[in-house]
Amino acid sequence: MTAAPLAVRNATLKFGGVTALDDVSITVNDDELLAIIGPNGAGKTSLLNVTAGFYRPQKGSVELSGKDVTGQRVDQIARHGLARTFQGTHLFAGQTVVENIMIGRHMLMKSNVVQAFFQYGTVMREESEHREAAEEIIDFLEIEAIRNRPVGTLGYGLRKRVDLGRALAQEPSILLMDEPMAGMNSEEKEDLARFILDVREARKIPVVLVEHDMGVVMDLADRIVVLDFGRVIAEGTPEEIQKDPAVIKAYLG
Amino acid sequence: MDPSGIFPTSYRTDRRVVRTRWQAIALAVFMGLLLAAPYLASGRIIAVLNMMLISAVIAVGLQICTGYAGQINLGQAAFMGVGAYTASILASKTGMSFLLTIPLAGFAAALFGFLFGLTAARIKGFYLALTTIAAQFLFHFAVLNLPSSWMGGSNGITVPPAELFGFRIVGETSQFYMNLAVATIMIAGAFGIIRSRFGRAFVAVRDDDVAAGIMGINVAATKANAFLIGAFYAGVGGALWAYLIRFVGVDQFTLFNSIFFIAMIIVGGMGSIVGALVGVFVIRVIQEVIATVGPNIADSVSFLGGDIVFAGMNVILGGVIAGSMILEPKGLMHRWNILKSSFRIWPFPY
Ligand SMILES: Nc1ncnc2c1ncn2[C@@H]1O[C@H](COP(=O)(O)OP(=O)(O)OP(=O)(O)O)[C@@H](O)[C@H]1O
Ligand SMILES: [Mg+2]
Repeated sequence: MTAAPLAVRNATLKFGGVTALDDVSITVNDDELLAIIGPNGAGKTSLLNVTAGFYRPQKGSVELSGKDVTGQRVDQIARHGLARTFQGTHLFAGQTVVENIMIGRHMLMKSNVVQAFFQYGTVMREESEHREAAEEIIDFLEIEAIRNRPVGTLGYGLRKRVDLGRALAQEPSILLMDEPMAGMNSEEKEDLARFILDVREARKIPVVLVEHDMGVVMDLADRIVVLDFGRVIAEGTPEEIQKDPAVIKAYLG
Repeated sequence: MDPSGIFPTSYRTDRRVVRTRWQAIALAVFMGLLLAAPYLASGRIIAVLNMMLISAVIAVGLQICTGYAGQINLGQAAFMGVGAYTASILASKTGMSFLLTIPLAGFAAALFGFLFGLTAARIKGFYLALTTIAAQFLFHFAVLNLPSSWMGGSNGITVPPAELFGFRIVGETSQFYMNLAVATIMIAGAFGIIRSRFGRAFVAVRDDDVAAGIMGINVAATKANAFLIGAFYAGVGGALWAYLIRFVGVDQFTLFNSIFFIAMIIVGGMGSIVGALVGVFVIRVIQEVIATVGPNIADSVSFLGGDIVFAGMNVILGGVIAGSMILEPKGLMHRWNILKSSFRIWPFPY
């Protein structure tokens, strides 16, 4: 049996007096779509930030495919196969769609700076190979027509799609998405939901999805973890979660 | 952007520097004219071209560091000075060939630049600007206070001429070919760097360092490398300067010179290699005009005194920078690209 793509164990994160995470553990299995839900300020983003290395938890650990990465830098954790999209977007707005997606390939490329200076041919060959991979993602996300548009000129729905494309370009072994649907209309949500399902099914990449839209979560998730005040208050399949009294209380109470 | 109706047939053509036949012809004609310049133009013009070629190497390096990677650098003249002194000391004390001293000058400057680049990992903007100004003072302090047998102290160092297979590269014309050869290699290399994954990493760190990190880009190392590369270019330019002037002194590499290099990339356009070259041309022409006209004015209006040339240079260049930031904040290259793309696709909308 291979180790789970992602395991967070007993993570505790405090900001001064605020406990953002209190002894939180989650495990994501192969090809699984795990949703994380919870009221505002429950600690969802904090959990992703701890996982991706933005914050170091005061207690607990993060493992990627069995490898302990707790306390490593963000870029080191990315190189261990973790990709994420942000609440809002963190795209390179002045760059085109293709350029944004190619930046996702950076860590998979090998040429060094001396080669870049002297060996234009060698470097361009590598560049072409990775460009092909980028174009495959562009086809997959159906954004061929806008590939040369600067990202800053695109609407929010398309931008989130580029954001996903850039993360996929990293060929991650786990993908974290923080409220990708927030601010989208229902058509855009449907499109993105379809792509997220494809990521899990066709690309076999396990996904951790933080999302407020319950309809989306119940449709997409294999399993749901519910956070409230930094604690896991429930965990289970969508059916189980819908009936869970603690969840109903946290949301209505 | 390509002319209307022309679509790249492969990813390779899509990424080429020279994309149309007309661009290739224009480049060939431009290089041909440069090669023939010593036979076409006066010695004075060749002297100006020599300064432009050397400035071009240094400004292109600054463009990579500041324009692409977004790391403010007010120490480029100090990095140039480190290169100039390295080449001078090696050439005068060991008789080493310029084929070695020029790259070694680059590496020495790169090392110095890298040290300042490490601080760029922690600080940004105004504070980084201050730190890079410290490079200027550190350089001056070291040269003036180390034993004069090392760095020549306030007397400077006299540099023997560059020599290739027993042929002494002296006089503006042979120096011009040496500078042209080195500048061509360095500029071609700059295109290679900015079109590679490193160029993208620089832009990523400049535009959003949080996102750059999650892309697996080591932000601190990338910033330090931007300084390293920028300073390498300054060091190579400094070595060319040493062989051109045949003498180096500490007051050739001041904060004013650093600001002129910044002016070049601002006027030409941040984040464009060609923009850096355009900026070098514009600023050097202005400097040349002031240097020519200034003394005449100083002579005829004697109460102004001789300092008027230096003061006037700074006032006018300051005006040019301020004016270009108001009228053309993205630089001349940006304006040119807009004109070009609207002309190319005419009369179609795309
Ligand atoms: N950088 C920070 N400094 C101080 N407190 C923080 C910081 N980040 C988060 N917090 C606090 O930690 C708690 C959890 O915040 P977090 O952003 O993880 O919630 P969330 O579940 O993502 O909420 P939302 O649904 O609004 O995005 C909140 O009380 C928040 O105020
Ligand atoms: Mg959040």
